[in-house]
Amino acid sequence: MAELHIIGQIVGASGFPQSSLFCKWGVHTGGAWRLLSGLKEGQTQVDMPQIGDTAYWSHPIDLHYTTKGLQGWPKLHLQVWYQDSFGRCELYGYGYCHIPSSPGQHRLQCATWRPLGTWQEQLAQMFVGGGPQLRSPDLIYSGADRYRLHTVAMGNVELDLCVILRHFDRYGVES
Amino acid sequence: MSTPSDLRDKLRKKRRALQESLGKVKDDTQALVPSDSDVTKENERTAVEKLTGRGDDPGETLRRSLKAQRMKKKKKLLEEMSMEGPPEEEMVNEEITAVQELQHDQEEHSVETLAEEGRSVRLQRDLPPLPVARADSSLSESSMRQRMREKLRVARSKAASLLQQEASLEQPSHLRGPRDRETLTRFDRETDLDVHEEESSFAARVKFRDAARKATRDKRTETGLPTEEEAYKFFTFNFDPEPQESRRKDRAKKKTRSTDDEENEGEEDEEEEEEETGRARAREGEDESRERDEDAPLVRDEEEDLFIIDQSAKDFLELKKADYIGYNRRVLREREIFFTPSTRPVPASCKLPENVQPRYLEDEGLYVGERPPVALSNQNILENRILKEDGGKKWFGDDGRILALPDPIKESSSRPPLYHLEEELDPALQTVYRKPLKSKYVNRYIAGVGDTQGDYQLDVDVSGLIFSHHPLFSKEHVLGARLAQLYDQYLSRQHKNLTCLLTDKLNGLRNTIRNMLELHSGEGISHVTQQRIAEYKQEVRHTRQLRDTEQEKDRTLLKSIIKVWKELKSLREDKGCTNTPYKLYIRREEIQRALDEQEQEAEILAEVAELQAESEEDYERKLNEYKRKHEEWKSWKKKQKTLKKKQKQRRQQSQDVDEEEEEDEHSEEELGEEPVKPEAPEKPDIAGLEQQVREKAAKIRRKPGEPVLVPELTASNPITPNEACPRGEISRREDVSKRSLFVKVLYNDKEVSRTDSRSLNMDFRVHFGQIFNLKIVNWPESIKLQIYEGVSSSSSLIAEVCVPVPESSVLTGSTPSEELEFSSNQRVTFNHEGVGSDVPVSFTNDGSNIQTLLTSGKLSCCVSWAVGEDDIPLAPPSTQHGAGMHSGLRQMDAIACIGASGLNDMKRLGKWAAESRLDPNDPNNASIMQLLSVASGGEVVAPDYFRLEQLQEEFNFLSDEELERSRRFRLIRLRSQEEPEFRNFKTIPATEREISEKVFEEYDRRLKEGEVIDTKEHIDAHRALVAKYLQKVRESVINRFLISKHHYILSDLVVEEEVPSIGGPGQGVLGLNLFKLAEPKRPLKPRRKERKKVTAQNLSDGDIKLLVNIIRGYDIPIRKPHTSKPAAGSKGARSYTETFTAASTSQTALQASEWPLGQPVIRPFVEVSFQRTLLQTSTAEGPNPCWNEELVLPFSAPNGDYSTSSLQAVRDEVFISIFDEVLHDVVEDERERGSSVHTRIERHWLGSIKIPFSTIYMQSRIDGTFKLGTPSVLLGYSKERSLGSEGGYDAIRSLSEGTFLTLFITIEPQLVPGDSIREKMKDVKFDTQEVERLLLACEIFEKDAGQRYPDRPCVTTVVDINGKTVFITRFIRPLPPPQELLDAFPNNSQEATELVVRYVSLIPFLPDSVSFAGICDLWSTCDQFLTLLAGDEEEHAVLLCNYFLSMGKKAWLIIGTAIPEGPTAYVLTQEQNRYLIWNPSTGQYYGQHDTFCPLQTVGCLVNADNVWFNIQLYATPIRMSFDVTKPKFWKPFFSRSFPDPGLSSVQPEDLVYRRTDKAYAAELQDRIEKILREKIMEWRPRHPTRWNRYCTSTLRQFLPKLEMSGGREVAEEHRLELQSLLGDYRISGFPLHLPFSEIRPIIEAVYSTGVHNVEAPNVEFALAVYVHPYPSNVLSVWVYIASLVRTR
Repeated sequence: MAELHIIGQIVGASGFPQSSLFCKWGVHTGGAWRLLSGLKEGQTQVDMPQIGDTAYWSHPIDLHYTTKGLQGWPKLHLQVWYQDSFGRCELYGYGYCHIPSSPGQHRLQCATWRPLGTWQEQLAQMFVGGGPQLRSPDLIYSGADRYRLHTVAMGNVELDLCVILRHFDRYGVES
Repeated sequence: MSTPSDLRDKLRKKRRALQESLGKVKDDTQALVPSDSDVTKENERTAVEKLTGRGDDPGETLRRSLKAQRMKKKKKLLEEMSMEGPPEEEMVNEEITAVQELQHDQEEHSVETLAEEGRSVRLQRDLPPLPVARADSSLSESSMRQRMREKLRVARSKAASLLQQEASLEQPSHLRGPRDRETLTRFDRETDLDVHEEESSFAARVKFRDAARKATRDKRTETGLPTEEEAYKFFTFNFDPEPQESRRKDRAKKKTRSTDDEENEGEEDEEEEEEETGRARAREGEDESRERDEDAPLVRDEEEDLFIIDQSAKDFLELKKADYIGYNRRVLREREIFFTPSTRPVPASCKLPENVQPRYLEDEGLYVGERPPVALSNQNILENRILKEDGGKKWFGDDGRILALPDPIKESSSRPPLYHLEEELDPALQTVYRKPLKSKYVNRYIAGVGDTQGDYQLDVDVSGLIFSHHPLFSKEHVLGARLAQLYDQYLSRQHKNLTCLLTDKLNGLRNTIRNMLELHSGEGISHVTQQRIAEYKQEVRHTRQLRDTEQEKDRTLLKSIIKVWKELKSLREDKGCTNTPYKLYIRREEIQRALDEQEQEAEILAEVAELQAESEEDYERKLNEYKRKHEEWKSWKKKQKTLKKKQKQRRQQSQDVDEEEEEDEHSEEELGEEPVKPEAPEKPDIAGLEQQVREKAAKIRRKPGEPVLVPELTASNPITPNEACPRGEISRREDVSKRSLFVKVLYNDKEVSRTDSRSLNMDFRVHFGQIFNLKIVNWPESIKLQIYEGVSSSSSLIAEVCVPVPESSVLTGSTPSEELEFSSNQRVTFNHEGVGSDVPVSFTNDGSNIQTLLTSGKLSCCVSWAVGEDDIPLAPPSTQHGAGMHSGLRQMDAIACIGASGLNDMKRLGKWAAESRLDPNDPNNASIMQLLSVASGGEVVAPDYFRLEQLQEEFNFLSDEELERSRRFRLIRLRSQEEPEFRNFKTIPATEREISEKVFEEYDRRLKEGEVIDTKEHIDAHRALVAKYLQKVRESVINRFLISKHHYILSDLVVEEEVPSIGGPGQGVLGLNLFKLAEPKRPLKPRRKERKKVTAQNLSDGDIKLLVNIIRGYDIPIRKPHTSKPAAGSKGARSYTETFTAASTSQTALQASEWPLGQPVIRPFVEVSFQRTLLQTSTAEGPNPCWNEELVLPFSAPNGDYSTSSLQAVRDEVFISIFDEVLHDVVEDERERGSSVHTRIERHWLGSIKIPFSTIYMQSRIDGTFKLGTPSVLLGYSKERSLGSEGGYDAIRSLSEGTFLTLFITIEPQLVPGDSIREKMKDVKFDTQEVERLLLACEIFEKDAGQRYPDRPCVTTVVDINGKTVFITRFIRPLPPPQELLDAFPNNSQEATELVVRYVSLIPFLPDSVSFAGICDLWSTCDQFLTLLAGDEEEHAVLLCNYFLSMGKKAWLIIGTAIPEGPTAYVLTQEQNRYLIWNPSTGQYYGQHDTFCPLQTVGCLVNADNVWFNIQLYATPIRMSFDVTKPKFWKPFFSRSFPDPGLSSVQPEDLVYRRTDKAYAAELQDRIEKILREKIMEWRPRHPTRWNRYCTSTLRQFLPKLEMSGGREVAEEHRLELQSLLGDYRISGFPLHLPFSEIRPIIEAVYSTGVHNVEAPNVEFALAVYVHPYPSNVLSVWVYIASLVRTR
């Protein structure tokens, strides 16, 4: 009965055009995984850094999984949102990364991207905000053919995750 | 110096030095860096040298070398200063080459020297030092040298003369200076050096030779490449032609001349003295060989360089030219490395293995694909290259060509093109442009919450309207409208042509039947065919009927058209004018009479035949039926007859009455079943049939030969101009022209737009043709169109048309406009021709045919969802909620595309299609049919399941079951699910085996409990059911409230310290404090410091303490000497009026006298128990003791969870009991009395009080005097009142009876009480049946009250048990109490009242605040309350209030706060100008001015009509007025501005009381007694428990009396009775009175009295239980428990 603890935090985000950001996150796993305790999705507060462009959230993640198979190793997907001065929120980036499979502390940088949209949309975005979003955000972590998507690179989300594995060795998984 | 060897050495040194200096210079030029490195190497070497040199003479060598180095440095610097700039370098370079040349070819030497000689003229200045230098050479040598010099000079002069002709005059003169100097210095230096060299160089020589060799080797390796000089030459050759070179040489010669001379000399010397010494020669040979080597001397010189050069910036840096290899050279070199395959074709023989002929597959007839075209040269290159490789031949096929696919290019590109495919983009990849969204809570009420597609648009197209009737219609218009309507109908019928269609169908069917019959020609018709024929016949009949009705309709329509037209014509003639343009033409279409007749006849005949056949069949069937029934009837008759016979026989045989009766019944039954005798069916009337058919035909069809009439309505009739009209008509027309119409568009009952006003036309048609685009934000609820008609400026509403909200699939452009009918029942009359509306109108002249017409018409409009620019419907998703993440995919619903939204189930669609018999060929249905065919055709077969991760199973570590079985995981999961049992599990063991199965037992049991009711726990099945029901209610309510609990507001999360501010209402923190600063300090006047409140998060066990300050007690019962005489003066008839007016001091005097002087009356102490901690005060003395002690009790929250919600749910109670400490002397032996004291302490329970922790928590402190719950009879104790008899105290205190305790309880540190639920409730909307306006008023009322008096509770709406909000007054309604209670005291209403109160208080109490922790109060109605038999203060109060009302009292519900309950409900009654406050849950009552009344604040009063809020200065009952009529004191909810809408009550009309079974009560009584007995024995494990049966039976008799007296003291008689019986015993005991809910509280109560703790050896016990039943299962339980100690 292999167990996996993911303990850590979403430290913050940097490199975005604006820095009044918040983040929606979720952990996606395969069918073999079972969440024992902890919240597997959430949303951080909005951080408006006064100095520097890094928005710090320090949002805790504490998950405890058990699994009956390795397939569908947990993946973390993120959506970074920007809140403008009117309190409106718009999407700033999708990001995705695998939970590291080796035990120990991991400092991850999750690069994010955002759909580009047509030039009209870009123009509209420049003046009135908003922006193209994925119709099905599952795409963030599903391996559909994305090559048709035009995207722009956005900033990085920094994650600090500690991974603890237990009893994986019983099933022949060396960690 | 003079020895030749010395000389030679010297010479050699000199030469070497020269060469070295040259070499150094050369090095410098050759490559700055290498030379530098050399220099550094040399320096290193010098260091090494020093070390080695130290061996023989360290100090000397060191000094020398240092000196030498210093010297070198100087020289070097000088040199550097002198030789700067490229020309100099150039020059030096030339010198070197010159030297090299010189060394290489000695033969040319002379010539060159000559040339040099020639130049000597110019360089005369140089020469003089040479002789000087030579001066120290030996004389013998000088002659030779002289000769040589002569020779040289001759040669030089010659050369000079030669040169001078061609000598470049441009030779820069400035070069000379430095050159000269250079040579000079060099020579100087050399001479200095000579001395040092001799010693130092020797040791180092070996090493340096190595280095030199290395250098030479380097040189040699370099030779392969063009050397620096070569390269240089290559570049400079062209620019400096021959003459310069020669001059260069000359210059070099000139410079080295002296050295050369010496060299020559030296060489000569060497040659001469070659054989002198072997050693010298060997060295010489070496030298020579080195000299011969072109580099050797240069390298060797380095050793000298060591001492000359030191580091400087120049040494490390070197300017280097860019490396470049000449093109040709490179090509050459590359040619060696690279292989360039040739482009020539390769002969086939090379490509194939030996002796193999190429084989061409094409020639053999095999198909070989066409290869892609490749340039021949490229192919050749490739072939050539491949052949060069090892095994290159394998690449060639049999035909000698390179193996290749026929066409290596894929037919389709593996990567589809990027652009131009936007519409085909995978739905998952599609992006939506979303506007920036506002936070969720801001736009909660906007359609499309959550998803941002909230850009919806409704298009409302109002095209126009037509009046089918209008008040301004003239009669002609009415007829015209009717005509038009009929004609429309006619046209539409004509268009459908149903008659024709049906006739054809009929004919077809008939033909089919005929064909079938013919085919089989009567014989051998199979069953199937028969069935089909029957079906067809059925169909024929059906179709014929249809056709007949259609035909009839057609005909009547035609008739009525003609009739109306005639009427219209006559009307026009009548009036003399025409108002409508209608004109009807009727066309006659002649037809051939004979043919027609024939057809008709055939038709009739066919029909008749069919009918005959049908009726025949029918008859047949009926006949069969008749026969069957007849048979049945007959058989039954037969049976009956036999039965009757039998009966008769039997009757004759036996005379038994019973049996007879039975028989009678039996026979009656039989007779009753007699079937009706069937009637034989009539034979059908065949002849009549034909008659019928003919009649029908005549009625509904054209007569044969009659022409076909085709009406044609046109609007071509000219309308009479106004001038020609009669007056009435003119005024009507004028009126019409004044009218104008417009349409308002209302969206969600709000006007959003209106059309332009259009005037009414003569034809009563209005065309608007306007489209309104409604951008909507709110969810569409209704769309209305209001038609207004206006005359000039004023307008009035004619009608309102509701347009259905379109489904999301209804889109603009695809929907036709609908015609919505409207009508208005407005009555309009005119005095002109207009017919008006709702007015009877006659159309004929004679006044008959009166009709009443209402304004009506059709509005043509269309409402649909707009379509966005990119064809995206701007419609909200069909389900507003649940459109979460995948809303994008939902829009792809295939079925929605064809317009049938909501039909998502394929199967159902198919079923529907099959049922509705869709015509598969109808183009309208094509899409559905296609969909169905696709669905059923297997292309899109959706299996019943799909597998998500097919391969998962194979890779599973373990099975699901195993995972389920893990206790640890289960525990963790349950904890995270916050199951109550596991919610606060702090740690869960890491291994499985540490978790026992038992952990889950409780949880599993609870899950199972859903079905099974534990009757043992509850004894009473009914109560168990109630408990279950309550549990369910609780769960549902909790679920409902969970949402609100999780809804945080900012203040829940962020604690913000208040910013100090000056001023502001009540909040000028700074301002006030500033004044405080100025205040003088008064240490003797302590001020109360505000305690800091602690938030619950950062607490742990032991941090919280409960402080209980017990101050004093009043009126504690005192002991009675057990040898007491019967006391006089039992209480007579009492009334509650007496109890608080007259002090019952009658017995005090008596009792006082009984006490022996100085004997302690009582020694009470207080024991406080909380959470299994027991603490007690010291023992005080007397009935009014003063302890003034603080007890500190630790508090620990359940499971260590200190969150607010958890603290609110703490059910623990603080028990405060008063005991009497009785000391008994146990010294057996009197002799020991003097020396030892043996006493036994007994504690006698006197009374207790319990305060729930939740109250303390919510109130943060409890301060006051409380009445102790004392038993009504305390054996051995009596009330003592004598002490204060003379004072005025007594008067006040005795107002209410009982024992009192003054307490102060608080929590340390102060906890922040959780938000009252009410606040949170604000966010939660409940279902309600109250009108919005009332709720709004409630909100305002409560808000207002809360602002003005935050501490006074104000309740206007409550939540009932179904979770609905109900206005509070609905709960108040007079309800009759059980009749038997009223009957008990028919004459004494006061007694009856008390009984009723008692009854109410006997209903068990179950606080909501505990059961619905952190949630809210639920109010149940009285019948629910009586059914559940559990409730809290509100329910009790409501029931009591209702009873009082029905008993004719003036009663109100008090909403207030009390101690210790906290917010609660009491009942107020008005009795004889006095107000009484009733505590419904205890049955106590208090006068308004009773100081000990627990009610602390009165918030509002409620009765059935109104709610009054207390706006008086004070809220304590003593200081306020209860006169609700005074608006100054009480603010009514319903006032003149907001009158009572007449709310009906939620209470039932009447309460139904069930009589409780006495036997059941007796049974329960026995059970309780048994259980208690067992328990008491259980609690005394170390002592035997003896039961005094005699006493028990006495007590048992006594209990019913107590019940009868309503718990009042009947103690005196009782005690006397007991004492007379048990004179020898010292008795202490008391009866406990409890309402019955469960057995557990009874046990607890008995335990808490501690009677069982008596440990005297001879103690005996007595226990009696009495259960008195009241109606509706309300039970009053008495437990009498006593301990008896034999005194003698």
